[in-house]
Amino acid sequence: MRILSTVKFTALRMIRNYIVLILLLVVPIILITFFSFILSGYVTDVGIPYINENAMTMVVVFQLFGGSIVMYLIHHDLFAENKMRMYVIPFNQTMYAFSIMLCGAIYSIFLGILLMVYSQFVLSVIWENWIWMTYIISLVAILSIIVCLIFMLSVKNYKIAERLSELYGVGFVVLAGLFFPMPNHAIFEFLGSYGNPVTLAMGAIRDMSISNTSSAWFQANILLVVIIFLFIVMLMVGRRKMG
Amino acid sequence: MTIATMQGVVKRYGSHVALDYINLNIHEGEIIGLLGPNGAGKTTLIQTLTGITPFERGKIEIFGDSKNPFSNQNKEKMGLVTQEITVLEELTAKENLQFFAGVYGLKGEEKKKRVEEALGFVGLGDKGGKMTTNFSGGMKRRLNIACALTHRPKFLIMDEPTVGIDPQSRNYILEAVKKLRENGTTILYTTHYMEEVQAIATKVVIMDQGQIIKEGTVEELIKTVQHEEKVRIDVTDIERIPVEALEKISGVKKISVSGNQLTIISAFGSGNLDRILTLVKEHAGVLEIQADKPNLEDVFLTLTGKQLRDKEEE
Repeated sequence: MRILSTVKFTALRMIRNYIVLILLLVVPIILITFFSFILSGYVTDVGIPYINENAMTMVVVFQLFGGSIVMYLIHHDLFAENKMRMYVIPFNQTMYAFSIMLCGAIYSIFLGILLMVYSQFVLSVIWENWIWMTYIISLVAILSIIVCLIFMLSVKNYKIAERLSELYGVGFVVLAGLFFPMPNHAIFEFLGSYGNPVTLAMGAIRDMSISNTSSAWFQANILLVVIIFLFIVMLMVGRRKMG
Repeated sequence: MTIATMQGVVKRYGSHVALDYINLNIHEGEIIGLLGPNGAGKTTLIQTLTGITPFERGKIEIFGDSKNPFSNQNKEKMGLVTQEITVLEELTAKENLQFFAGVYGLKGEEKKKRVEEALGFVGLGDKGGKMTTNFSGGMKRRLNIACALTHRPKFLIMDEPTVGIDPQSRNYILEAVKKLRENGTTILYTTHYMEEVQAIATKVVIMDQGQIIKEGTVEELIKTVQHEEKVRIDVTDIERIPVEALEKISGVKKISVSGNQLTIISAFGSGNLDRILTLVKEHAGVLEIQADKPNLEDVFLTLTGKQLRDKEEE
């Protein structure tokens, strides 16, 4: 129960981390708005406005960076300068770490939903299935948090973990072909179909919007299985690091 | 009543022995000044005493419990002021205290009262709503102390709480420590500033290279090195002073003259100052008299053959 009393303050610490707020909310809003001017009136091959595609991409892509605040708080409270203080407090440090994870996931999802609200009510982007969209961004947010924590728990130098988490975000955006097209190669095709959270999430959203539910669920379930597997990995490296 | 006991505690980091068969008893109401140079093992001692770092050999007993000394029940009665400033930078001073009060199980009005009390105690009563990022180093240090006080610990461990702060904040902290003791808190206070220990400690423990090399009250420790007395006298006409006559006074061991200053070293307890001054005054005017007493720095120097801290640190 004592952990519950910390949740309010964890949320405040997240909200007051303005760099994260800029990265996860302000930058995507600027990009979505900017591209809405350029892409206004254009439609894809299947008749979907480009602005919808662009908004969906932004919402999904920026979830990849949502794990950074969780990684930062857990590192500072349990593995860096605050460690001594936190370890003499009569509470369960593992549960405290989970509470930060949960707060971080909710915060990241909330910012994703804010992006959707902004794009729908300001830029007239149509989100057909809000529940499905929320489910998918939740998966991407949770995956990002777990991946960031694995980096933080696996390497000794926190700065390296930070760089790896950035590489994770930028790397999958590049591999999804969002910056420039990837070469026609089996490895890139495989990654695009089964190994890239960005393409899996976007594929699941697209398929659900055209009522191809089985394919949508298949792609979402790949993300879910990866989350479960990496969660176990995270528990193992976490147990080793927390001693 | 014994608050904490360490018996034959050993802690190694690889081949480096950080704690070498430490024996320490902390009794209720004491302020133990744990004194030692950087790297003496003070922080390791604290980490083992609080259960943060496991130890290899020996026994630790906290509040009479040696089976599970670091139980949550015992932790609730302990507080730690860390050497590093461990306030949560994204929160205000009051929110920091609310966070720590909450994890110690305080709620509602009681929590509110304790938070205000802790803020007032460290002199930050009017700064509760301010973000800690805007605090000076001294204010952060004081908040760092307050974070360990909201649950009113019976046993408070303070790890170099005055490192890198201004003299005003340091004095404030030292006064606060004395007040805590008056309120019944037992305190283990580590530092490498001997003047702090001399000002507040009821018992001093001197550590070096992972070992406790001496313990006792400040007076007891000073007595162990007090073999001679040194008096410096500034006079008007130094050339008229009869040095040979002074040397014949009982107990005088050595006299040296430098500028207009006379330095006289006598055997400890010789009680010859009256006779020395009478003789000096017969031949010259006395401008100033200084009697040098040994301090804990001298004790440390005698015991280990080295300074307590580097000159640059001062």
